[in-house]
Amino acid sequence: MSTAAAHGAHADAHEHHHESFIRKYIFSTDHKMISRQFLITGIVMGVIGMMMSILFRLQLAWPDQKFAILEFFLGRWAKGGVLDANFYMALVTIHGTIMVFYVLTAGLSGTFSNLLIPLQCGARDMASPFLNMLSYWFFFLSSVVLCWSFFVETGPASAGWTVYPPLSALEKAMPGSGFGMTLWLVAIALFIVSALLGGVNYISTVLNMRTKGMSMNRLPLTIWAFFFTAILGLLSFPVLLGAALFLIFDRSFGTSFYLSDIWLNGVGALENVGGSPILYQHLFWFLGHPEVYIILMPALGITSEVIATNARKPIFGYTAMVISLMGISVLSFIVWGHHMFITGMNPFLGSVFMFLTLVIAVPSAVKVFNYLTTLWRGNIRFTPAMLFAIGLVSFFISGGLTGIYLGNAALDINLHDSYFVVAHFHLVMGSAAIFGMFSGIYHWFPKMFGRLMNNTLGYFHFWLTFIAAYLVFFPMHFMGLAGVPRRYYAFSVLPEFNVWLEVNQLITVAAIMAGFAQVLFLWNFFYSIYRGKKSGPNPWNSNTLEWSTPVEHIHGNWPGEIPTVYRGPYEYSREDREEDFYPQHIPGDDEGHGHGAPKTKTAPVHTEEAPAATGGNVLFSALKKVLGFSPR
Amino acid sequence: MKKMMFGWSGAKLLLWASLLLTSTLAPLSVFAQADPASDVIPAPKEFSLSTADLVYYAYWLLALLVLLVIVYIFNIGAASEKLTGRTVINWTKVNAWLSIIFLVAGSAGVAYELVYHGKLLLPEAASAHGDSIDNMFNWTFGFTFAVFVITEVLLFWFLFKYRHKEGRKAAYYFHNNQLEVIWTVIPAIVLTFLVLRGYSTWHKITQTPEPKAKQIEVFGYQFGWKARYAGDDNKFGESNFNFIDPATNELGLAIKPTVVALRDTLMADTGRLGNDLRNLSSMLKTKADQLAKMSLAADGKAYTDLEREMEDIRNGNKASELRKMIKRKGVQIQRINATLDSKDVFNEAANDDKITTEIHLVKGQPYTFRYRARDVIHSAYMPYFRAQMNVVPGMMTSFTFTPTKTTKQMQDELKNPEFNFYLFCAKICGSAHYNMKIKIVVESEAEYNAWIEKQKRVVDPVQPATPVAPAEAKDTTANPKTATNRNIKPSLAMGF
Ligand code: HEM
Ligand SMILES: [Cu+2]
Ligand SMILES: [Cu+2]
Repeated sequence: MSTAAAHGAHADAHEHHHESFIRKYIFSTDHKMISRQFLITGIVMGVIGMMMSILFRLQLAWPDQKFAILEFFLGRWAKGGVLDANFYMALVTIHGTIMVFYVLTAGLSGTFSNLLIPLQCGARDMASPFLNMLSYWFFFLSSVVLCWSFFVETGPASAGWTVYPPLSALEKAMPGSGFGMTLWLVAIALFIVSALLGGVNYISTVLNMRTKGMSMNRLPLTIWAFFFTAILGLLSFPVLLGAALFLIFDRSFGTSFYLSDIWLNGVGALENVGGSPILYQHLFWFLGHPEVYIILMPALGITSEVIATNARKPIFGYTAMVISLMGISVLSFIVWGHHMFITGMNPFLGSVFMFLTLVIAVPSAVKVFNYLTTLWRGNIRFTPAMLFAIGLVSFFISGGLTGIYLGNAALDINLHDSYFVVAHFHLVMGSAAIFGMFSGIYHWFPKMFGRLMNNTLGYFHFWLTFIAAYLVFFPMHFMGLAGVPRRYYAFSVLPEFNVWLEVNQLITVAAIMAGFAQVLFLWNFFYSIYRGKKSGPNPWNSNTLEWSTPVEHIHGNWPGEIPTVYRGPYEYSREDREEDFYPQHIPGDDEGHGHGAPKTKTAPVHTEEAPAATGGNVLFSALKKVLGFSPR
Repeated sequence: MKKMMFGWSGAKLLLWASLLLTSTLAPLSVFAQADPASDVIPAPKEFSLSTADLVYYAYWLLALLVLLVIVYIFNIGAASEKLTGRTVINWTKVNAWLSIIFLVAGSAGVAYELVYHGKLLLPEAASAHGDSIDNMFNWTFGFTFAVFVITEVLLFWFLFKYRHKEGRKAAYYFHNNQLEVIWTVIPAIVLTFLVLRGYSTWHKITQTPEPKAKQIEVFGYQFGWKARYAGDDNKFGESNFNFIDPATNELGLAIKPTVVALRDTLMADTGRLGNDLRNLSSMLKTKADQLAKMSLAADGKAYTDLEREMEDIRNGNKASELRKMIKRKGVQIQRINATLDSKDVFNEAANDDKITTEIHLVKGQPYTFRYRARDVIHSAYMPYFRAQMNVVPGMMTSFTFTPTKTTKQMQDELKNPEFNFYLFCAKICGSAHYNMKIKIVVESEAEYNAWIEKQKRVVDPVQPATPVAPAEAKDTTANPKTATNRNIKPSLAMGF
């Protein structure tokens, strides 16, 4: 009954477009609004994470210097203006956590999967808008819990973003392993719930709700990337949830999954025997490695779309791009051991993981070559989105290549846990994925907010960030190769490392410069939301379906019928057309041959009224009935 | 419309001007202030003026830059574009040239780094297998650097070359099987080569038995390292985490009198804790009296601490904490008792072991470091020996290598008389992780012999087995029956 009532009220609201503020802006079930919510939350978390990195960069560059201003802001965490060693660890940990999970998983994938999957597939909304809304609110709750840990007496979690036990399991092992660690685990558990709700939705929407003519081989590469990302997340996040639960048990209920033979200062010999700390690492990296592709693949998808659109060329080797994504996805599940070469794991296992890891380099290389060929003989428009996409390719090359060193077990002996690793993952995961995210924001800003961002500010933002990012992360390779371990609070205590202080200062200055550049972005972003130039319906002359919707957001995305798709998404600069683009929904008999000509010309994949009864569909219509919501 | 624009830019101008002003007027000393505790005017320590300048000018320049950008975009640019109706700056051209400039400047930067820091990289390996790692590194570097240069140059060159031109149409070029096969196969071949080479290097380092290797135990704890040499019998004594006593038996070696003394101390502790548990209510009264004599104003933290303690007692937290401690110590006592009669554990082999605070090695002698952790995971990282292995509680790990250069030799080679080998901790392990290291000295056999001779045995041979019995052990209140209950199976996990 209440369901029916709610439904009726809902339908009413739909008709008159007069939703209450709360339903429209807060507990919205509209994928476009949810996407904006993900984006804004992600940006806020990103600013927090970046400010943390600047704080600990100050410490690394001038470890003996007293910055009175820090004490003013941080109080007991920076007594006398010097960052506390425990707080340094906390900053590094939370910085890593925020950047990996909150900015680049939820902020990037959450934003663009939500925005683009229904729009580019031609669906009125997600398969389950209600679960979608839940997904955002679990994410929000998780962010709040994580930030809360800064107000805990013993400080936030500080065992590194990987929170290896026993350090993270034993409350007395370090202050950050107290209540702050509990909050971290709760935050991650909530986060995983959010990721799973999102993932289920993305997968079922892509599989079941594509419009007429949108066969899988006409999907834009963005959708392919989000699709594989969602599958990776769905299969690997539960493992992390398990790992986190075991850790919670070990911390609070006296189990010994990860603990054995420990004598802890201030406590004595512990009762726990029989567990293994290495078990945690296996579980963690079973998520952890796919996670880096969960971060990277959406960025690669965005890049494919942006590069093709702005080079005015079909993406080169569409099929190869999809196969590469698929290959990367499959392989990413069986390479986690490369994070554990020197844990004392059987060396033979190390050889296997080394082999599999280096195999992953092949599809990655194919992607890079395909990007380059797409640019070749293009007609390249320098929009800020395009520049950021190019930046991604550059970082993907320089960061990806160092992966070949780290994937080699013999070399990893010397490089593991050194600054070389920090350089590697910041280039390939940090910089590349962040650039993908920026690219997406600049490109789809008109779709999200109906206005354009300022290009000139975008150019400044790009060049400053691009140069600064290389200045920050490139020199770290050299530190790592000279044997500087990571997560070191102060280098000045070791005379051998003093030579690196100078480099650290350069890096810090560059990091501050990068920080300033983000002010330009934030200004541009928030200013343009309200006062940017009004955008037309298809500002980039793009082919994909999202640009066939009206600029003003409406429920159900298209005022009339959902357009039918006639060809692949990358028919740019066809010889037989005067215009250099050919939108997917413009009727025309010719299929185009940008990639494998679809055979399923007639079979509609989805019609609004009667979805085909596939397993997923049945499940979801059941869920929809239970939850009382229907996709519009 | 114009008015509004002015209003906005005015606000912006104000914002950035104030930022500029603070950064120009605030020399860094305002932000960076000396320790108030020091009485004299402090000399800038470890902080040369030039670095201060650097930050200061960086802020200044950036603020200026941002100001310029804002002013440019929102005033001059927009206004003149409005007036003349044509673009002031051709951004396509600017961006295209910037990508070329970036390419050139970037290459110069990479070249500079290679020259300037290149000599610090992978400094001459000081171990036998180190050369094979460096060799592997060089192969990898050769391939990846070539790919890096080619792809990055192409990327930025294409950006420049194929920049947008009015009226030109891009090539409709979407597919080329041959090309794609070629650039799938070539990386595959290169990577096969690297994998095979990597495999043989890795295999050689980790899976080649070294029968002549001498064993040294390296023990990691929060926050430091200890080394243990096996002594004259060439046999390590057994060890166990239940035997650890930071004062008398840091590594938890099986030395009967010491372990018995530890057990007695533990029993005394449990007895005392049991008394505390029984007397909680009287304790609460004592504390209340104590509190009555104090005041928040005068005692501050001591007062609030006491208050909290009483709160804990009232809520039962104290009781449960005491119970947990008693249980934990009881388990430890049982585990000790269960082994005390074992001849395999208490076999006297530990007596002549030597525990040292430096590691001394003989040049050319293969060593196997056997790692033990006391509390959390550490990682034993020796960059000059190209060696690293995690140190994991509850699991023995090891790493075998042969030092090939003495400390003296390295000092001469690096022209640095201060040089020393160190074993660092590379796995985050707590607040002092960054300062957890042990010195390694590589020397000749004679020098080594002289040094090891001087190191003390764990148990002095003249008066065997005279551990210090802790004073409290005498007034033990624990029931001796439980303490000597030996019916428990030896279930503890042994170190080795
Ligand atoms: C403003 C830009 C950034 C700067 C200056 C920066 C700097 C750093 C530095 C120096 C460390 C190592 C600290 C140490 O080992 O003591 C670090 C750790 C880390 N950063 Fe960043 N970073 C930035 C952005 C990012 C981004 C975008 C990501 C996203 C992937 C990221 C992810 C991480 C992770 C995962 C760690 C490891 C944390 C740990 O050791 O547990 N960072 N960052
Ligand atoms: Cu990985
Ligand atoms: Cu450590």
